[in-house]
Amino acid sequence: MSLGTDVESSDALVTGDASTRELVSGGLVALSFASFAVGLLALFQYLPADTPVAGTTVSTLLGGVLTLVGAGTVALGAASYGDLLETSPGHTGGLASAAFVGLLWFGVGGLVAAQTLGLSLLWPVVALAVGGVAAAVALVAREDLGITLSAGLFVLLSGLVVLTGAVGPGWQWDPSTLSIVVTGLVGVPVIALFAGLIGAWTTARVYGGFGAQGRQTGAYVLVGTNAAGMLALLASVVGFIAVRGFAPMTEGIKYGLFWGPWTWFNPPLVDTWVVVEGPILWFYWPFVMEGYSTTGGGIDGILPAIVGTFWLVVGAVLFAVPLGVGAAVFLTEYAEQGRFTFLVEISTNGLWSTPSIVYGLFGLAFLVPRLGNTNSILAGQLVLGFMLLPLVVITARESLKSVPDEYRDASAALGVSKWETIKSVVLPASLPGVITGIILGIGRIAGETAPILLVTTSSPFPSEVAGVIEGGFRFTSAFPFVAVPDINLVQSSSALPYQLFAVIGAGLGENIDFAWGTALVLLLVVMSFYAVGVTSRVYFRRKLNQ
Amino acid sequence: MSVATRFAGLDRNTRVVSGVGTVLLTLTILSFLVAPALTGYLALAFAVFVGGAYLVDEENTARFLLFVTTTSTVLILAFITVYLLLNAFPVVREMGLYLLVGSDPFWNTGSNVYSLVPMVWGTLVTTIIATLVAAPLGVAGAVFISEIAPGWAREVVKPAVEMLAGIPSIVYGFIGFTLLNQFMQQELSLPTFGSLFVTGVVIGVMALPTVVSVGEDAIASVPDAMKNGAGALGATDWQTTTSVTLPAAFSGVSAAVLLGVGRAVGETMAATVILGNVTDLPDPLIDVFGNTITLTSLIASQYGAASGLQFSALFAAGVVLFVTVMGFSVGSQLIERRMQSRLGGEQ
Repeated sequence: MSLGTDVESSDALVTGDASTRELVSGGLVALSFASFAVGLLALFQYLPADTPVAGTTVSTLLGGVLTLVGAGTVALGAASYGDLLETSPGHTGGLASAAFVGLLWFGVGGLVAAQTLGLSLLWPVVALAVGGVAAAVALVAREDLGITLSAGLFVLLSGLVVLTGAVGPGWQWDPSTLSIVVTGLVGVPVIALFAGLIGAWTTARVYGGFGAQGRQTGAYVLVGTNAAGMLALLASVVGFIAVRGFAPMTEGIKYGLFWGPWTWFNPPLVDTWVVVEGPILWFYWPFVMEGYSTTGGGIDGILPAIVGTFWLVVGAVLFAVPLGVGAAVFLTEYAEQGRFTFLVEISTNGLWSTPSIVYGLFGLAFLVPRLGNTNSILAGQLVLGFMLLPLVVITARESLKSVPDEYRDASAALGVSKWETIKSVVLPASLPGVITGIILGIGRIAGETAPILLVTTSSPFPSEVAGVIEGGFRFTSAFPFVAVPDINLVQSSSALPYQLFAVIGAGLGENIDFAWGTALVLLLVVMSFYAVGVTSRVYFRRKLNQ
Repeated sequence: MSVATRFAGLDRNTRVVSGVGTVLLTLTILSFLVAPALTGYLALAFAVFVGGAYLVDEENTARFLLFVTTTSTVLILAFITVYLLLNAFPVVREMGLYLLVGSDPFWNTGSNVYSLVPMVWGTLVTTIIATLVAAPLGVAGAVFISEIAPGWAREVVKPAVEMLAGIPSIVYGFIGFTLLNQFMQQELSLPTFGSLFVTGVVIGVMALPTVVSVGEDAIASVPDAMKNGAGALGATDWQTTTSVTLPAAFSGVSAAVLLGVGRAVGETMAATVILGNVTDLPDPLIDVFGNTITLTSLIASQYGAASGLQFSALFAAGVVLFVTVMGFSVGSQLIERRMQSRLGGEQ
């Protein structure tokens, strides 16, 4: 019992001030993030800045919150400087932070001088002076005073500007050198976004008690926000397309269960047909099972584009995978580090970063004239194969390198030849990594538009599927008595990414739903390759580390 | 050692396989250049020869075949270079330096006057904006994944960044075209459809995953011993990151940024769709909300109607692109190589 009291009292003694600081600054961090989030909503007009809220507007509310955060930051800094709070400030705010706030105030000074005061030539001087003073304050003064003053005052100023309506819903700014007009509906949210982030950074530093710990907390808040932003970006892109595209993609789906004939035959010696009946599942999905309707009625579909993408991917994989894996094997197993491998590495990485439109130009100049002088699937397959090749080489090489040398040594010790070892030991061991790389590469080339735009496509809205395989295996009366299907790759075709480009080019007006649907199908196809690739990589890496 | 003496040093089977194989393959490729109709037969001959050789001498044939596949990347790169240059040659001969320093009129198909100035300017502006977006955010993302994130957050963010890399460029372009361009016109009263600013931001977002992934690899390759040393001296995690890890990984991180910039320079579809693609400079020049054209979108928007000198001018744009991006690629590789040898040496 007495022990418990002891601990409580000592806790209270040591952390009394710290907990006040954490409570206040934590609250201010939350308020800053709130204004950041509201600013984001306001910027994209989900919650316009002039929306009335509880007798006032979102804009005034944001201004009030930012003023509170700014004033609170300065007050916390002053309290820390007066030793009212338990902090461990450094003797300077740090060079990076000083440069950061200096840049901030440089911007403020420049904008005010050039736009509000109308100094056409003198503004850089004012901006430099303001920025310099802010940076100097942050650098020279003790950390708790310098940082809270330079950054807190920025937040306070932003808040006051918005609160007093100096930049309010009715405000307008028409810069002479830019062809835009900034209204308050955009200006207020932008200020809220900026000041919210700065406020969160500064108050997080207070939360950490300044010093090294405070800097860490402040930096982590910014870096964490950035990571959350990337997640939000992915979610919003995918979500937006899923929401807009789902209805057009699934329009007109019909399915049903019927009782019907499965097969029928005429047994020998019986003069009757035997019909076997059973349940038949019937499924009709017009958006992916039809072409673009030529009659005008009916639902426009993208089957030709899907089939085109399928052939392009198949061809590119058949071309690039043997070459790429072979090159990777030679580089890791046979070649010695030297000028040749250096050259191959440079060109592989060079191919990796060559812009896709350059591949398209190359295909247009080199392949198309030699392959029937027409835009063709074959040319597209080869060009996409060229693009896939460096990806396969790089990933296959990495995965071959990760095969332990013990495997090769053990095999060699058994007297197995080198090629036999590669075939039966090294390649199987590296297979998961190689396949993962191929899957990710497919995801990338399946979404490529620029090269196939130049070498494969012709009609923007095809209603017919490109007939790559005509006829089937069949017996004939003439020599050699079997006919193989005609494979015709030298013909133009559509593809999923091109289909989306074609809709945009043709004007979205009445085709907007068709475009969203196409975008969703394209995203689903590409993303499923990526999802499989990324998951299998995580899975095999974990298995390897066990 | 000359090729001949090297060749003589090999055993007989190797000599036969690689000699005849190389001749047949060279003939195949040459025939594709001059007489594509013959290529099929020569390729068949090569396949038959290699098949037979594989039955006789597996080991040497396999080695030869693997060597052939290895040369493919070099060959393709060489062909791309040669054919771009060949096709760009006419316009270079005709226009000379005007291509790079020309003034108004920049691009006139009627009087056959071509200058790449607006395109280079457009590419420059969009790339700078994209770099301002992708470099800080990308490096921060890389630091987050490799240094800061707790296990669960890394498991979420890393695959998410990889998925982000998978979103096709035309989808970004579509979103920029329908949503962002509209936003700029409605909320910012932008008079024209499309602007360099939106294009740059979208391209920056697209280059972001490249910077994150490559940068993360670079940061992760800093030996733990260095970080532990800083920790043992009482540095906080963030101090370790800023004063030990990032300086050690600096060259790798800058290579990541260079690769990201290269991606941004070559990005085609987003620029084609979002920009207005007018072959003039924005007025005034620094109007980032103005409209012009980039090297990539020039090719994508004009290839269909182009012929003669205009067609050649598109290839000149391709050459400028190709040379720039190759410069970034080679530069980042040299930097990375330096980093590897340095960190490898300290271990």
